[in-house]
Amino acid sequence: MRAFAARDGAAVAALDEDERLVIARIVADVGLLLGGESFGSAPHSTLPHREDLAESLRFLDELADAPAEPDDPALLRLLPNAAPREREVADEFRRLTEEDLRATKLARLRRMWEELSQDSDEWVVPADHVMPTAAALTDVRLVIASRLGLESDADAEALHADIARAGEAMESDASPEPAIDPERVWLGMLYDALTWLQESLVSVSLGGQG
Amino acid sequence: MGTQERLEPGASVRTRVREPWVTVVWNDPVNLMSYVTRVFQEYFGLPRQEAEARMREVHEKGRSVLSSGSREQMEVHVQAMHSYGLWATLERADA
Repeated sequence: MRAFAARDGAAVAALDEDERLVIARIVADVGLLLGGESFGSAPHSTLPHREDLAESLRFLDELADAPAEPDDPALLRLLPNAAPREREVADEFRRLTEEDLRATKLARLRRMWEELSQDSDEWVVPADHVMPTAAALTDVRLVIASRLGLESDADAEALHADIARAGEAMESDASPEPAIDPERVWLGMLYDALTWLQESLVSVSLGGQG
Repeated sequence: MGTQERLEPGASVRTRVREPWVTVVWNDPVNLMSYVTRVFQEYFGLPRQEAEARMREVHEKGRSVLSSGSREQMEVHVQAMHSYGLWATLERADA
């Protein structure tokens, strides 16, 4: 993996096929969490079937109900409570904005997924997509962080200590003591890689973006 | 009573009455300092130094007030912050 750097007015990173596959998969997972259709499925280009039409019109039934606060803490982090001390303000905000927010986040994730699904080791982000891509990377990192229970800076430090310990144990062919959940190490390393990519993307200076 | 004397105090009272809400951005362990700075530059149009100062306030004090105004305006700002993945809330200015 090579971090983003400026080239010909775009930000360009290098990821091999496995890296692209792993990141594309978690991007698609976040899309599903937001209630999107599976990425990779063909968009509706022909007339919808009767069932699809019924599905499309289902929102009419739901108009009367304000969306409820998500139970899943990861989804709640993507669609946060806007006024924790005032229920009525929070509900009104959710009713007015949630659909737009979901659509914005899904569109950005889908675009990123499509870029990562290209058969190319280079990930090219044009200047006007640097911030939308950085925002999509943030959403993915927020979900992973929630799954890892990262709620404070101390939690993040504890995660890094665990990753380091797992790495040392692997090098000496021993099991870490106390044991570390391999999934935590794997997700933590993915989180770190995405953090590193995002940091490089945001730091790339393309003309006029200071 | 001159027009100016009558208008000025009234205007400042109206300003206070019309701006009873604020947009607050909260610290979290996920968002990068560089990213938050760029969001403040891009969305609120802050010069880089000012954006960095606000980012540091969020990071060190746990929160920063980025804007004040009507509830509707603050809803727009909070939605934008949520779109960027920042943790933001709106609250009454006197809360």
